[in-house]
Amino acid sequence: MKNASVAKALWDLRPGEAATVTGFGDTLSVSYQGRVMEFGFQPGARVRCLLNPGFGAPRVYGISNSVFSLDREIATAVFVAVNNPVEASA
Amino acid sequence: MRRVLLLGSPNSGKSSLFNRLTGLSQRVANYPGITVDVASGPMVSLTDTELVDFPGTYSLEPISGEEAIAVSFLNEALADDNVCHVLCVADATRLEKCLHFILQVIRECQRHQKPVTILANMSDVIRDNQLQFDPIGLSEALGVPVISVSARESQGFEPLVECLRDGASPSMTTVRNWRESPNEILRGTAQQLAAKFSPKGDVLINSQLRLDRFFLSTALGGLAFFAIMFLFFQSIFTWSAPVMDAVESLVSSLGQAVVPLIPNKIIADFVADALFGGVGAFLVFVPQIFVLTLVIGIMEDSGYLARAALICHRPLRVFGLTGKSFIPLLSGVACAIPAIYAARSVDSPRQRMMTYLAIPLMPCSARLPVYALLIATFIPGDTVLFGLVGWQGLALFAIYFFGMLVALLVTGFVSKASKNKQSEQPFVLELPPYRLPTAKPLLRNAWNRCQQFVTQAGKIILAVTMVVWVLGYFPNSGADLGQSWLGTLGHFVEPVFAPLGLDWRYGIAILTSFLAREVFVGTLGTIFGIEGSEENMLPLVDHIQASGLPLGSGVALLVFFAVALQCVSTVVILAREGSTRLALSMLLSYLVGAYLLSLLVFQIVSVLF
Ligand SMILES: Nc1nc2c(ncn2[C@@H]2O[C@H](COP(=O)(O)OP(=O)(O)O)[C@@H](O)[C@H]2O)c(=O)[nH]1
Ligand SMILES: [Mg+2]
Repeated sequence: MKNASVAKALWDLRPGEAATVTGFGDTLSVSYQGRVMEFGFQPGARVRCLLNPGFGAPRVYGISNSVFSLDREIATAVFVAVNNPVEASA
Repeated sequence: MRRVLLLGSPNSGKSSLFNRLTGLSQRVANYPGITVDVASGPMVSLTDTELVDFPGTYSLEPISGEEAIAVSFLNEALADDNVCHVLCVADATRLEKCLHFILQVIRECQRHQKPVTILANMSDVIRDNQLQFDPIGLSEALGVPVISVSARESQGFEPLVECLRDGASPSMTTVRNWRESPNEILRGTAQQLAAKFSPKGDVLINSQLRLDRFFLSTALGGLAFFAIMFLFFQSIFTWSAPVMDAVESLVSSLGQAVVPLIPNKIIADFVADALFGGVGAFLVFVPQIFVLTLVIGIMEDSGYLARAALICHRPLRVFGLTGKSFIPLLSGVACAIPAIYAARSVDSPRQRMMTYLAIPLMPCSARLPVYALLIATFIPGDTVLFGLVGWQGLALFAIYFFGMLVALLVTGFVSKASKNKQSEQPFVLELPPYRLPTAKPLLRNAWNRCQQFVTQAGKIILAVTMVVWVLGYFPNSGADLGQSWLGTLGHFVEPVFAPLGLDWRYGIAILTSFLAREVFVGTLGTIFGIEGSEENMLPLVDHIQASGLPLGSGVALLVFFAVALQCVSTVVILAREGSTRLALSMLLSYLVGAYLLSLLVFQIVSVLF
């Protein structure tokens, strides 16, 4: 009955917050979807929002030891699930 | 000759490895996608084998022009019988972003029956951070050899050379066939392999994150950006001044020593006016080009440029450009030619076109001699803050800023006028770790650039100054420049330049500068050399000051040079990379724009002062 996780777009993550990639929106063209998947943004992968420079600038995300910056257009089309902290500690 | 291909995703250390293995000095940069030309050279330890450094790509499914070129090169090369082996470089610390590419490369190599070996680079980072990496396991999973190497420390090269010498791959326990696997399968496999073999944890991110918190923070990051840009421009001018002075006095004392030894008067005049006056005037600016290349290299190699691209993305988008245009534009501060090539990394064709429009307006180093000459003529050389900041440096900053402003206004205007939201591409960029730049390759690169500049531009300048000298010296043996052939020609074109307050001598210099901008300095040097008496070979600045050039004309000249597209090579490369129509329309519109703007500026300054 309890929600295991909260669905969000990557862009909605706050700095420091981590999540698991779940899928892609159809606003993202196939070639760019392929590219971010090659970078490691694959369904099931753990991503962490590292920085938000503000003023609408591209934000910075980490996948294991790699760091990428994605702009709003891409990051709103990558869907993630944030684990419920209660669930996670259990 | 046997050829070995070196492939790899951007920033995996491919160029560093290439340099180590060939002993050549290919450009190393800590920015994704800097290799846009193919370099090749014989290997140090296998002299019958030529190593070919390919442009880096993340995938064999290209999304940018640069990647498309790399992929078509690769297909050609794989069909070539001389190619006997393919090396695929991966960053072992960041395997997850390399594995898909590795699998694609293995597939293509299997299709073409070429042996392939994976070089897992950065083993020094793995060791220093006590990360876990299992090359043998990875090798078994992939079905091809994996060799751990470090380009920085030249580690792991013996097994590599052995592997290349033997030709065939060492005996593999499993040979997997990827020949028929479609991309989706490869992608899934890449993810599984990454989960299994990529070094765990994110220790490497954390050190990088501390610096990024500073350089990408809203307030401090912006300040740091402007501070770095300011230092960049100051370094070009103020910091290279002592070396320039040294070159200048060397040239003039050499001239004073050599010229009296020449018995023939005509030859002596030629050497004094054309060689020491013309070519010498241009040599003085070589130290600046050295400093410029060096500073850009340091920024690239440290990893800061990728951050600068991120910071600039939003502002540049307002003007129809993208953060990825920042690198081509900044390279344009050195020279438009590499900048136009670098624009291949801009994935959207439309934004690439905008980048082309902006590049020739970037204050390139060929303008530097002209700017430096005019600034030195009108602005005092005083410095403040312990000699770090000078008025001349500030003036240079202003004229550089003017060029960039014009560039942004042009792209902003054109992109607004032809609005088309469809073709704008999203922004995704890898942020490489911050690294301490290595001095040797940077210095060597700056040195190579100077050599290139001297030999390429020097040849044109020598030829032009010779023609100018002959036209100016005859038929009256340099007695009266105004009555020479050059003078006749000059008086013919004078009406065009008279509205800018420029006499025919400057008109001739501007005409010759359409070959290359820096020729302006050489031509003026030759003209004033013929005019001046033999005994005192004054620096060109003193000649111009003595000629009574009004301030308004000086500023008009600066503006003209900032805008006009006076460079044959740029036009040719623009036509090749973009289109002939683009190149010609830019040539014409920038020329008309430059003339009108400088006319306006001349009027304003003449009224004010
Ligand atoms: N620590 C370490 N750094 C390396 C190594 N190889 C390359 N680098 C650095 O990685 C960055 C990218 O190298 P580069 O050769 O330009 O990569 P390319 O884009 O693949 O050609 C540069 O800052 C290099 O100094 C290595 O083995 N160890
Ligand atoms: Mg490279």
